[in-house]
Amino acid sequence: MNENVIELINDIKEVATNILEKDISTVRGFSERQVEAIAKQTIIIQKGILNGDIDEDLKEFFLDGLEAMALNFVNTLKGILSVTIEKVWNAIVDLLWKAIESIT
Amino acid sequence: MLVIKKKIFPLILFIGLVSTIIGCKTLLAPEYDKAIVETVTSTSEKTMSFLAKVSEGTSKSNFSEREKEYNDLIGAYDALKIKAKARPIPKNTATKKINELLETRGNSLSEDYPSAFAFEEISKTLKKMKETDNESGLKPTAVEAFKGQIETFLDQALTYESFLKR
Repeated sequence: MNENVIELINDIKEVATNILEKDISTVRGFSERQVEAIAKQTIIIQKGILNGDIDEDLKEFFLDGLEAMALNFVNTLKGILSVTIEKVWNAIVDLLWKAIESIT
Repeated sequence: MLVIKKKIFPLILFIGLVSTIIGCKTLLAPEYDKAIVETVTSTSEKTMSFLAKVSEGTSKSNFSEREKEYNDLIGAYDALKIKAKARPIPKNTATKKINELLETRGNSLSEDYPSAFAFEEISKTLKKMKETDNESGLKPTAVEAFKGQIETFLDQALTYESFLKR
């Protein structure tokens, strides 16, 4: 394979890896916090139902809230994924553009 | 001659491919808005301070002392929802193509505003809290649950909004 092509492939790999590594660490931290928060919330609701602090009306409200939290947790991850894909895509396009500029 | 053709053909092919992609430098998520992040940060501080004040529970007899704080916070989150939704979510060929690829794996990019949804849920939570406080006062575990719900949605909104800063 042509040396320039090999160099370009390596550059693309490097730029994509750098973006992904940084973003994955953010996603991991966020996911851990969210899973823990949703689990804690479930326990608080259980405790409130048992000690009578949470009545039937509030129970319904908090259970709907748990569902909304889980749904939006996934949607936030999808939103973050959009940004990561955009960053990788644009970084690759930049590299390709520079490669073209260097030979024209 | 054959050697030159062999060297030039991949180059032409490469330039053609790149030229197609170059037109596709894209935006797949809304623009970062510093004002939104700053407002969320300051409003969340006020919210946490209010929740700390009522953490032991409340009595409906002095609800009027808290009513303004509820209204201010609800208004702030409603305004944040509007601000977050005011930014257009880009829809372009690249998004369509990427979604087509992801859908083959049972996935797709979000076409919603996770932060706007979170602001709306926080506003709903505060409205319910206000209503319960006014009708019967709040019990400590109920306050804890309201706080947990608000904190989780705040984390979602702040993480997403901060992540938009490319």
